[in-house]
Formats: sequence, C-alpha cells, structure tokens
Amino acid sequence: MKDTDNSIDNIAKTDIKIIGFGNKFRCDDGIGPLIIEELEKLEISKNKNIEIINGSTSGSDLILHLKECPRIIIIDAVDAGQDKGKVICINEKDIEKFIDKNANSLSLHDLDLGDILKLSRALKIKSDITIIGIKPINIGFGEELSPEVSERIPEIISKIMEIL
Amino acid sequence: MADNINVEISPLSRVEGHGDLILNVRDKKIEKLIFRIPESPRFFEAMLVGKNWDKPSHITSRICGICSVAHTHASIKATEDALGVVPNDTIVKLRRLIMHHETVQSNVLHVYFLAAPDFLGVGSVVPLVETHPEVVNIALRLKKMANDMVRIVGGRAVHPIRTVVGGFTKLPTEEEMYQMKDMLKSTYADLEASVGVFKTLELPAFERETEYISLSNEEEYTHYDGIVKSTDGWEIDPGDYLDRINEKVVQHSTAKHCWASRDSFMVGALSRFNNNHGQLTGKAKEYAQELGLIAPCYNTYMNNIAQFVEVVQSIDDSIKLIDELLEEGMDDSKAMVEVEPKAGRGVGIVEAPRGLLIHDYTYDSNGKIEKANLIIPTGMNYINMEADMNAIVPGIIDKTEDEIRLACEMMIRAYDPCISCSTHFLNVELVNK
Repeated sequence: MKDTDNSIDNIAKTDIKIIGFGNKFRCDDGIGPLIIEELEKLEISKNKNIEIINGSTSGSDLILHLKECPRIIIIDAVDAGQDKGKVICINEKDIEKFIDKNANSLSLHDLDLGDILKLSRALKIKSDITIIGIKPINIGFGEELSPEVSERIPEIISKIMEIL
Repeated sequence: MADNINVEISPLSRVEGHGDLILNVRDKKIEKLIFRIPESPRFFEAMLVGKNWDKPSHITSRICGICSVAHTHASIKATEDALGVVPNDTIVKLRRLIMHHETVQSNVLHVYFLAAPDFLGVGSVVPLVETHPEVVNIALRLKKMANDMVRIVGGRAVHPIRTVVGGFTKLPTEEEMYQMKDMLKSTYADLEASVGVFKTLELPAFERETEYISLSNEEEYTHYDGIVKSTDGWEIDPGDYLDRINEKVVQHSTAKHCWASRDSFMVGALSRFNNNHGQLTGKAKEYAQELGLIAPCYNTYMNNIAQFVEVVQSIDDSIKLIDELLEEGMDDSKAMVEVEPKAGRGVGIVEAPRGLLIHDYTYDSNGKIEKANLIIPTGMNYINMEADMNAIVPGIIDKTEDEIRLACEMMIRAYDPCISCSTHFLNVELVNK
C-alpha cells in the first residue's frame, strides 16, 4: 500500500490525472480503485507526469482535481444505458450529452458526477475529461467483482493506454 | 391547498445516500410520516469478525468517503481500548488535528454546497455559481485546504493510511507543520467573508426542543475524545454507552433507530454546540454570536450555522495544536507506542462530522475480532428527523404541496444525513392523489 498519494507540492504540476472512483467493498462499484491498483503495478507514471489517484467515493474533490489539471481520466462504474458489464468511453465532446442524459455514475458519493461536471462548466474550468465506465452487475456488499466485470479489466487498461 | 395530500420524495436529493420521505395527510391531519431507508443494510459488523487487530481501521474507513477519518479513529480507539494501548500526547494531538480537518471537509461541503442553495433560494450548487460565485470559490478553497491537511497528516485526503493502532506510521515533517500553519492562517479572510453571506440567510424560525447528545471535554471543543454528555442531564463514560443509547429495528427502514432518555435525540454540530459552547474560543465564539447561534438552540436548521462555527473552531484549534507540537518537538520516536494483542472488549467513540460515532469490538486472545457493534450518527438522528417533520408540517399545512415538500427536504438536509453510512443512492417524487 502506498504511504501517500501526492504532496501539496506536486499538485498542479501533473499533466494527467487518472482517478478511479468507487467503493472496493461494494463489489463492481470497486472497479475504479481496482484499476488504479493495476495501473500502480504497471508504473505508468514512471516516464510521464501522470498522477494515479484512488478517488474512493469522495466526489466533490473531483472539482479540485479539475481545477488543478488540464487532463483527467475518470474510471468509474457508470450506467449510461449500455449493457451490463459493457465498457463505455465518454470523451470531452460527448460530456454534455452525458450530463443531459443524466447517466448514473454509481460511486460519486456526495455531489454526483453530473453535478460536478455541470459545476465545472459553470465555473468555466477548462479541463479535458474522459470517462471510462463499466455498467455494474452487482453493487451489493463484498470484495469480489462479478466475473463479467472482472474479465473487462484488460479492456479498460488498454483504453487508458490508448489515451495516454 | 387540498385537505388530503400524499407526498413521496424518493429519493431525496443533496444528502449522502438514498432515503425516501413519505407523507400522507388526510383532512389536514398527518396520517403517516416516515423517513424510509430502502438501501440494503451494511454488513461491516459481520465483515469485521475474524479480522486481526491491525485491519479494522482500514476496513471501516471504507464505510464512508465523507467520514473515513472518523471511522478510522473510532476503530483505532476501540482496538486500543481493548488491547490496553495508551497513545502518547503527540499521537493524540495529531489525531485531533486530522479529525478537525475531516470536520472542515465535511462541514464545508454541506454548508456551502448542499444546504446554502436552500437558504439562498437557488435549486442547487450549479446556479449558485451565477448568483453567489464567492460562496462557491470560498468553499473550494476551504475544501482544498482541509484535503491538504488530511493528506499531510494521514498520507491521503480520504481513507488515511498513516493513522494506525498505536500511532502514526510516519509523522509530518517540521517543514510540513509550518506549511499547514500557513495554509490555516490563509483561510481567515474567507471565513470573515462567509460570515457576511451567512448573516443574510433566512433560516426558518422553527423550534422543537429535544435531547442533544455529544462527546464533551472540559479541555476543548472536542471531536476526538471525552465523556458522552446529554442536555437531559446525564454523563457517561464511553464504555457505558449501552446503559443509555438503545437501538431497535423498524419495519419501514433498513437502518436501525435509536433513542436514549426520551423518544428521540439529536447528534451532530448543534448537539456539540449545545453541550460544548463554553469551549468555543476566539473567532468561532465571536462568529457564533454574530450569526445568532446562542445556546441552548432548538432550531434544527441552525445545525448548518453550528457546522460553520465548527469550521472556524477547528481552524483556530489546529493552529494552537501545531504550535504546541512544534514547541514539544516532532521526534520520530514519538510516532508509535507498542501494541500487544490480547483478549478484551473496547469501545471507541468520536464525533464524526454528523455526530456521535461508536465502534465496539471484542477481541480473542490472538487479537482477532469476535464481535463488533457499530452505531453511526445518522442512525441516531432518524427518529428525531421524523419528530421534527411531524412538528413542522401542521404549521405549513395550508401551503402548497411544493412548499411543504421543500420544507421537509430542507429539514432532512439540515441534519446533513449520511445514509450511506447507516446502511448508498437518493430520488425525489411527489405523488398527489
């Protein structure tokens, strides 16, 4: 386990932040933090100025990340009407549609993802956001992902790598 | 206004988690008023059984992203109580410091983003950017400061990693201590400006006296340690909480309901203020008076003003704590005390931002949990929320359904309920039959 995720010194100096939201004790809702753990093993931030963050369920902090970084990639359990277990990738140009569609991001705990994105627009924060989401099958209590969600981990990682 | 109404708010917005309010009125009399938690109950108590003594604080931290520091410390204190571990003064002061900044994180989020839109007459935080941009920007600066404080002391802005049974795995450096002090001092202009805005808020003039329960400590306005105190005149040691605080299962909700001396009680910022207003110092005391927060206060909506006053108190007290810690020296040898597993029961009670939080563990001789009981603040407040709404609805029964619905929503939000803790997700629907 990492002793710290970042210091106040390196905030705002990062080119890209990858943030995984969710609760690892709510089965498929834990996909965000789990992907972050996988990315840490890959050491992708070694040669690039990339910050990898376990955002847990603290949604409102996303607005602070958006203020501090020009490029954000969010990994989360998202129901945007796609099939269960299917991975979707929402790019900056599609964010407005995402907000209007009021898709459910399952893990942002205080203000939901739609509210945060609306707030960032209202605050005129310029940030390039990509949301990679998978529709969960089970968000009951437990530490195991559904097999259908678990087998999509390589696909999510490769989508992140394509973006980077 | 019709004599008969059915209001169903499902789920309720701008609160943590998923809760429904059902209100049926017949012939202008309340026939049914329940606040229902339809979420699946949380099985953390069962999940803890069999876990080694060094694990519960990291597991229970995940119960909630808003009050992870409080769960961490209630858990650590319960384990230390069971194992007979006594932390040193440096550890206690750093725990008080990190607890303060979860209070700031949570209170700022609620007061500025979730409750202020009610009192400023805008639907949510998004239009607030247009009408009161200074409020949103102050909130963001305060939230960032508090996140950085928790990150420096705990290693992460949420779910702290350095805070463990026996102390800290790493202490902040002296340079970081000075850095934190500068960050804290930089907030005073924003606090002063906030008072100017909050003075203009029109809070409903509603009063209903109830029992107010919180931790209390003669030395300080406490969030970390103390006796359990009630405005009904009793005080108990944390280990005796079962003598006073009762829990029951109710049919309409997956969260347990609690009571103490009477049918209901309240926990949270207003309860802490009513019991501990004498320990407020400096600017916090000054702003409380300026904002009309005078003890005893029976207006539930003033809970939000009490939350703001606590932000100020936490910032004041943090500067004091940092000065003391620097004076005493931040020696790495003070980071941890020894921990030996043994059999025993321990109770850890802290003040989470939303109120009293109880963790009660029984360990076997190998230092593994045999039994765990967790009582969370929102669970303690449910009956009182229903009682408040039963009191407010008759007085507004002639208003429109939208007005009644808004008044009830505002009342529930005033409690800053964290339904996710007690049992995740919220909806609002009005059904008018």
